Amino acid sequence: MSNVTLRLAPATLTRGLSRITSPTGRIPRPCIVSKWLQSRNLTVVAAPIQEAIPLRKHLKDEAKRKRAEAKSNGGTKPHAKDSRLKKWELTVGIEIHAELNTACKLFSSASAEGTDGVANTRVASFDAALPGAQPHFQVATLLPALRAAIALDCKVQGKSGWDRKHYFHWDQPNGYQITQYYEPFAKDGVLRLHASDGVPLADLNGAESIEIGIKQIQMEQDTAKTTHHRPSTYHIDYSRAGHPLIEIITLPHVHSPQTAAAVVRKIQMVLRSVDACVTGMELGGLRADVNVSVRERGTEGTGSSYSGVSGLGQRTEIKNLSSFKAVEDAIVAERGRQIDVLEAGGVIEGETRGWTLGATETTRLRGKEGEVDYRYMPDADLPPLVIGQDLVEHLRSTLPELPSETVERVRNLYGLSLKDAKTVFDLDDGDRLEFMEETIESVQRKLGRTDIDQLEIGKLVSNWIIHELGGLLTTTELNWESMNVTPGELADVLVNLHNKHITARVAKQLLSTLIETPASARSSVEQLIDDGKLRLRPLSEEQYQAFAAQIMDDNPEMVVAVREKGQKGKIMWFVGQMVRRGEEGTVEPEKAREVFDKLLVV
Amino acid sequence: MLSARVCRRNAGRRLVGYANYSVAVERRSNTLNAIVNLPNTTSGTSAKEELNGQATSPGALAGKSIALKDNIVTKDSPTTAASKVLSGYESPFDATVVKLLRQHGASISSKTNLDEFGMGSHSQSSNTGPVFSPFSRNGTPLSPGGSSGGSAVAVATGQCWAALGTDTGGSVRLPAAYTGVVGFKPSYGLLSRWGVIQYANSLDTVGVLAQSVKDARQVFRSLNVFDAQDPTSLPASVRQRLGPRRREPGRKRLRIGVPVEYNIDELSSTVRAAYVRTLDALQVAGHTLHPISLPSTRRALSAYYVLAPAEASSNLAKYDGIRYGYRTAGPDASPKRNSPLYAQTRGEGFGDEVKRRILLGAYTLSSEAIDNYFIQAQKVRRLVQQDFDRVFAQSNPLLDASLSTRSGDGGVDIIITPTAPTLPPTVDEVKRQSPVESYMNDVFTVPASLAGLPAVSLPAPLSEQERSSMEESDVTSVGMQFIGQFGDDETVLEAAELVEQLQP
Repeated sequence: MSNVTLRLAPATLTRGLSRITSPTGRIPRPCIVSKWLQSRNLTVVAAPIQEAIPLRKHLKDEAKRKRAEAKSNGGTKPHAKDSRLKKWELTVGIEIHAELNTACKLFSSASAEGTDGVANTRVASFDAALPGAQPHFQVATLLPALRAAIALDCKVQGKSGWDRKHYFHWDQPNGYQITQYYEPFAKDGVLRLHASDGVPLADLNGAESIEIGIKQIQMEQDTAKTTHHRPSTYHIDYSRAGHPLIEIITLPHVHSPQTAAAVVRKIQMVLRSVDACVTGMELGGLRADVNVSVRERGTEGTGSSYSGVSGLGQRTEIKNLSSFKAVEDAIVAERGRQIDVLEAGGVIEGETRGWTLGATETTRLRGKEGEVDYRYMPDADLPPLVIGQDLVEHLRSTLPELPSETVERVRNLYGLSLKDAKTVFDLDDGDRLEFMEETIESVQRKLGRTDIDQLEIGKLVSNWIIHELGGLLTTTELNWESMNVTPGELADVLVNLHNKHITARVAKQLLSTLIETPASARSSVEQLIDDGKLRLRPLSEEQYQAFAAQIMDDNPEMVVAVREKGQKGKIMWFVGQMVRRGEEGTVEPEKAREVFDKLLVV
Repeated sequence: MLSARVCRRNAGRRLVGYANYSVAVERRSNTLNAIVNLPNTTSGTSAKEELNGQATSPGALAGKSIALKDNIVTKDSPTTAASKVLSGYESPFDATVVKLLRQHGASISSKTNLDEFGMGSHSQSSNTGPVFSPFSRNGTPLSPGGSSGGSAVAVATGQCWAALGTDTGGSVRLPAAYTGVVGFKPSYGLLSRWGVIQYANSLDTVGVLAQSVKDARQVFRSLNVFDAQDPTSLPASVRQRLGPRRREPGRKRLRIGVPVEYNIDELSSTVRAAYVRTLDALQVAGHTLHPISLPSTRRALSAYYVLAPAEASSNLAKYDGIRYGYRTAGPDASPKRNSPLYAQTRGEGFGDEVKRRILLGAYTLSSEAIDNYFIQAQKVRRLVQQDFDRVFAQSNPLLDASLSTRSGDGGVDIIITPTAPTLPPTVDEVKRQSPVESYMNDVFTVPASLAGLPAVSLPAPLSEQERSSMEESDVTSVGMQFIGQFGDDETVLEAAELVEQLQP
């Protein structure tokens, strides 16, 4: 996050290119074009950075929204919408731009990521489009791109090429972007989505999963970062210019806004899991454009087609969506708008539209007549990109596990529910899962026994990591990165719990103590247990009986409530009393319950 | 250093030779506007510095002063490509060829004038004014040829020992022919383009202008190395294949191709006569002449004027006034007039010919026109290359041998044609020409550019009879062009030198 803010720091070009400007002593002029921008409905104000929304929260919100929708179904508008959707079918194709996880830029050896935060420091001659500078393809950038292509089941092309896409904008120093228009490096992939990925049942149509075709993946250059200083000054930071991106283009196989969001989410997960990308959508590492059309069910629409999918309605493109919610909401809004137009007897025009978060309607950016003719041309400086099948096979065999594979493995190995498995995988970029696996391994090692069911350990550990640890993080307002409990420590706590050396209450206390004490200042778990005299010293049956009798004597009215009024729930009150009054580490709630059951219910 | 004969033949002869370089010459030559600026610092110092760090055969060019076309970037002096859009631009790095020149002991004497961004055949479209040939007719200066006119005039008038130019469609060969010097365009990819301001990057090559073939070769060899910074520089593996695949051992005679398509109506009688004399001399010396056909030649010029502007429109898109160079005084886009971004800066910064080619290129790349123009022109370009591959004895080393389209009858070692169809026009005649008429000048040089082949223009002296019917101030030679198979640069130079020695 701080990284991004720093990137936006006001900057001039002098630092990176002092040689050019210093001889004349000229102060680089700000780019005074805000009016031009406004006239074209363009905005370059940095989008507000959104908090990362964990999957669990996303699913919760989703469920909440659905309930609310169902509730308000009596109202007229959603009802009208629903009936209209029986008539009109939505079709969506998605283009996703993702920043590749690389050390250098696509065509220069300038570093792709710096921590200095100073603008225009990572700019090679070519990145600033200096006269006489030429691109130099950095082979290493191909590796994350190939991992993405393989993970998305694409056919990697033996030979692909580089093309120039021309348009003028100050964030594009050469006046063109180098991309792979005519011959992309990967084609014909597929993305498989399940209900658990967020696909509505209606889209699944009874099947277990749906497949979304990937038309192609291409590598291309990112643009420079612009910051707007009102009213009319723009600062340009070329450090991002030329950073490698991949653009993933799906076929128009998507028929609901929810599935569209699910596609983007799933692609992000896949890219992360194979280490193709590091930053997610919430931090601007991923952007999506969606192509939206509707057609009357059972018709051929306006006969439009896209990459072999025909019989579609006229499509519009909504550009630059930077969150899953924006993808979904923008499609809902655009679908509604198109149906409105068509039902009023109008015609949908092929145009580019924009969407701002919280809006109820997409806005027109430019029509077909305003489209830029990109004048795609092969880049004569760059030789074709030749990729050997051996490299592809090597990467395939060493590819990190895909999200669906991980979730499946976690379920089978540790007995987690699908929901818990997905949750733990989704938390903290997979750190939580790694923590869990290390803890499980540590518990098994400490127990020193192999006869214990791994499923049992798995359930115990995952429960503690998702719920207990998760709860503690919430109440202490700590984030995962600053949480310093080690898997070994948690394993020590859980081994004691498993062996009934401590009670669950003590275990929670211990965990809380660990979280609140700096790593340097705290004792080992065993030491903490000993120091606090927390070790379970179970009472004998007789001691339990006597203790229980004493509590009952002290509270005759409660005894009456249970025995005579039949308020069985009050038994737990007695259990609570015993736990509270008993010396720490002596009373086990289960055992106490047994004793009270016997004594009170006669 | 130069043989008397060579000196006499040279255009600079009636001015002053290089050895007699003097202030007078400088003053006189400056009126020709060949030089745009001199280095700020003593390049000798930096040459020494470079030398200390490098162990590459120092001294091959020791003490030689070499001028650079001003579209080759240098750290110690501005580089503008004769364009207002780059006014005052100072490059933070030296072009690779500049580094190499210094490593070999040369001193960079000056930067030379050119047609803006190399777009032109007469060096008349420069932001710092036109270049004039030292020759004149009826009191009007002749065209020095273009676009490396400044480099050619600097060599012809002895302002430097040799000069670097760039050749995209004939820009080294044509001015060499018009000013009576040697102009060599090597095979595409041999000399590094890192630091050479792009015009049409699939055609651009660095070339050498010199008083003799021997000098041109010396400069060429000093620069002929792989450069990792230029993605189109031929790597060592390919260079090995170019190696000395010479004619079969023992055969000293050259097989010379004479393309029938070059015998066009527009060929002036003077040029035709010099052409015939050159071929006759070779035949007398025992070499054999072979009529060949290069059927795509007619379409090559059209293809060139589609492809080069297309690439230019792309390569020149970077000049927006944001990071360097010229920028208009006010805001650079007027919403009221709906003028697009940078229209003002680019409208003011580029000259007419550059604008014409950018527009032409933008059109031929547009989605409605690309199939009919750019794609067709690329096909013609391939046909032109195949034409050459069919007639040369050597197969094209860039192609798989099994794909060779060469006819079975041995083929030729070298092709000789005139460099330009006519004597240089006067600058007034140039002004009256339409752009298309002026493009016609490149008709003989463009095919070798499209195919990336090595080609050299050698001055062929006019006969005493021809000279006597012309003014004393007019040119004394016309250019003969020698074209070889890709990578066979040494044969091209060898053949030119052979003819050079046969000349009276």
